[in-house]
Amino acid sequence: MADAVALPGGAQEKIGRGWGLLLLYPVLAAFVLLFVAYPVAELFSRAVMVDGKPTLAVLGKLVADPFSRKVFWNTLLLGAVVAVLGTVIATAFAYAMTRVAIPLKGMWHFLALLPTISPPILMALGLILLYGRRGLVTHELLGIQTTALYGFRGLVLAQLISYFPFAYLLMLNLFRGLDASLEEAASTLGANAWQVLRTVSLRLLMPGLAGSVLLLFSYSFADLGNPLLLGGDFPVMSSQIYQSIIGLYDIPQGACLALLLTLPAVLMFFAHKQLSARTAFATVGAKGSSRHRLVRHRGARAAALAFVGLVSLVIVLQYMTIIAGATTQLFGINYTITGKHLVAALTKSRGALLDTFTLAVVSSAVSVVLGLLIAYFVARTELPGRSWLDFVANLPLAIPGTVIGLGFALAFSGPPIVLTGTAAIIVIAFSVRSLPYGIRSGVAALDQLHRSLDEASTTMGATGGQTLWRVLVPLVRPALLAGMVFSFTRSVTTLSAVIFVVSPHWSLVTPTILSQMDRGDVGEAAALSLMVVVMVLLVVHGVPHLLGRDWREAR
Amino acid sequence: MTTAHTTPAKELRISRLDKSYAMSRGRSVPAVRDFNLTLAPGEFVTLLGPSGCGKTSVLRTLAGLEDFEAGEILLDGRSIARLPAHQRRIGLVFQNYALFPHMSVFENVAYSLRLRREPDRQVRADVAHALEAVGLSEFGPRLPGQLSGGQQQRVAVARALVMKPDLLLFDEPLSNLDAKLRVQVRAELRRLQKSLGTTALYVTHDQDEAMSLSDRIAVMRAGRVEQVDAPEAIYARPATLFVAGFVGKVNALPGRIVARGADAVTVETLGHRLEQPAVPGAPGPDVLVLARPEALQLVEPGPGMPTGTVEMIEYLGDRTEYRVRVGSTQVTVIETALARHRRIAEGEPVGLAFVARAIHLLPPEAGTPS
Repeated sequence: MADAVALPGGAQEKIGRGWGLLLLYPVLAAFVLLFVAYPVAELFSRAVMVDGKPTLAVLGKLVADPFSRKVFWNTLLLGAVVAVLGTVIATAFAYAMTRVAIPLKGMWHFLALLPTISPPILMALGLILLYGRRGLVTHELLGIQTTALYGFRGLVLAQLISYFPFAYLLMLNLFRGLDASLEEAASTLGANAWQVLRTVSLRLLMPGLAGSVLLLFSYSFADLGNPLLLGGDFPVMSSQIYQSIIGLYDIPQGACLALLLTLPAVLMFFAHKQLSARTAFATVGAKGSSRHRLVRHRGARAAALAFVGLVSLVIVLQYMTIIAGATTQLFGINYTITGKHLVAALTKSRGALLDTFTLAVVSSAVSVVLGLLIAYFVARTELPGRSWLDFVANLPLAIPGTVIGLGFALAFSGPPIVLTGTAAIIVIAFSVRSLPYGIRSGVAALDQLHRSLDEASTTMGATGGQTLWRVLVPLVRPALLAGMVFSFTRSVTTLSAVIFVVSPHWSLVTPTILSQMDRGDVGEAAALSLMVVVMVLLVVHGVPHLLGRDWREAR
Repeated sequence: MTTAHTTPAKELRISRLDKSYAMSRGRSVPAVRDFNLTLAPGEFVTLLGPSGCGKTSVLRTLAGLEDFEAGEILLDGRSIARLPAHQRRIGLVFQNYALFPHMSVFENVAYSLRLRREPDRQVRADVAHALEAVGLSEFGPRLPGQLSGGQQQRVAVARALVMKPDLLLFDEPLSNLDAKLRVQVRAELRRLQKSLGTTALYVTHDQDEAMSLSDRIAVMRAGRVEQVDAPEAIYARPATLFVAGFVGKVNALPGRIVARGADAVTVETLGHRLEQPAVPGAPGPDVLVLARPEALQLVEPGPGMPTGTVEMIEYLGDRTEYRVRVGSTQVTVIETALARHRRIAEGEPVGLAFVARAIHLLPPEAGTPS
């Protein structure tokens, strides 16, 4: 009885003292509505509104047009092939790394993850230098002049190299998380390594495999750089949006294409979300073991090593080629060693490098701080509308970068808010794209903290803001820094999200590389790509070192 | 109970087993050192020891789930040491049961038979037998997640039994059950193993479990076997103070053999002389006198007996524990509820009487940590 009386008073008290922090809630909600919901809504309204009147004419024309239909099916076909092949490669790679006794695992892991910190157009560039019309392998070694790279095959190859590592990371964690005793039980019951994999591990990882397929599907959908450079006679949606806007300046058609690209992407995203919620049952419980026994069979080890080595070789070749392209006069024509491209990358393109670095750092901080606040409101308060806030803020995960970028360009080029040509539009575009990851790291970090910590702080008289700043932030700092590094990487390497919002005042590396390649400045493009990779590597590996031991351990 | 599963029981001989775990920077920590143990066909032996003593490592090495540096493992004289786990025909019941969550109870139990490509009719019959043996005939279509902990445990046993293993291994299979169920299931396990006659090795840190289940107990400490013997012998005649302490409370008192007869010795402890049957190779003259708390009785203080002061009394329902200070040593005495004839208070002087022939003598070095 006494409790029932005391509770409402206590709750009031808590809200009363936390009002300072609560003021931020409407600010956050406004930010998310303005910079996530509004640009996308604006873009879609351009698709179905012409001269202020609603119409389905543009959409209807597009759907009826055989070429557009072909583009749509192309996109799906490319996505499906990349998703399935990528999942197979990623799963085999993750299996070799977690279950087979092979040497140099640290190196294979590092190499496999290199593409995750590189701009995807770097893959297109490397492939062109190796296998293009004047490619090192095709022209110099095989003596053929072929355009076979341009089109479907080249796109599959480029997207596989660019995106299989993300699927590999997913599968790696799932393989590591499988309860080891299940596989051990299977082997004591008479299953050999292959039977264990087939009847137990893969069965348990089914939701994860499906998740990987959907993940790769959405990456393939969103990719712009590779289709622009390698698409050839195989146009896909993202490159068609670019052509519509930049080439034809047909905004309604571009907007319609964006709408058609978004629908399947969002569907896949939610299917993926459903599936990942279901993988939970397959992972280690408190009583399980995660020490997995490694396969020692000679043949299996040799096969795993050969496979892992081959995949790594393909990746290494890309980077070696970029390095070669950056240090020779004109790769494919004149192989004289020169330092001029590297010098150019550090002089002519210095602005792009510095701008990219600065804007990416600022926006990584913005996305992580906003992400933490949203995570706090979602996980730790009962405020109305918080699940909607969470939903909208997470949409950029589902919506392809091209769509967000185009939405920004259209929404903020005129009243009520004009941001075109400013640094703000780039920072906000970066931040919005990284916001879901900011929220994710925030939620994960907050979930690890027991609720009693902030209750204890509150009983000692702290306000909501003081609790957040003095108790929660220090404890979640490692996760936040990891989130910042991730967000930074994502911003530096994206092309699709920024290609429509760059301006002469603020240039960024990925659009610069794209235009260098359009001009045929292969050397400069390669040199600048190399600088980007070095910059990201320094941040990814340098930040943990600067921050010391406890941060690395916390990861 | 069915006997259809019985195969001729096999003898297990483990000799000079050495196993260590690799740590970072090339260092390694020994887990099992010079381990020797032989199980007679059909015998139920328990490895008993504190956590980290290497008992689970021995079990996993037998199952083929761990590599080891040296030693030999023979089943009926045939070495299995180099065979991969899936060719050993050794059934292992895991601590967490390790049931496949994506397969029904039936499919879990049928797993090994399906791998051997047994005909479908045979599979059905064998699985039905195994599920019947553990009392779960009705549960075939269920998923493991729909079963209670005790039922999951029995499915795990059925899954191990159905493959007619040469050897059954149990890795603390009862530790995830609540106390009441544990007592019930352990009786069932014992009955099942006896009826099948399969040689079995069981790992636990619970001495009650070890005592009630085993033909013999091997007490392990720091990777070695400290003593292998029948449960009664382990309790009454422990080889070391560690063994004595691991299977129950014990008073270890310094003593001295003052006289040796043909079939008895006289030992002096706590200033008191006791007659004790002579054991071959009896130590002396300095000895460690092991007296279980129930081997001592509290009596009216009088001449010719050790006397002391009651320092603490712990009432535990079915029994009462007394800490009595005798000179510089503290001894523990347990009195069952019915044996208590008089209320004793803390601080009161008491006399101690030894129950005849209930003590055990060890050389003093058996009490030092190895």
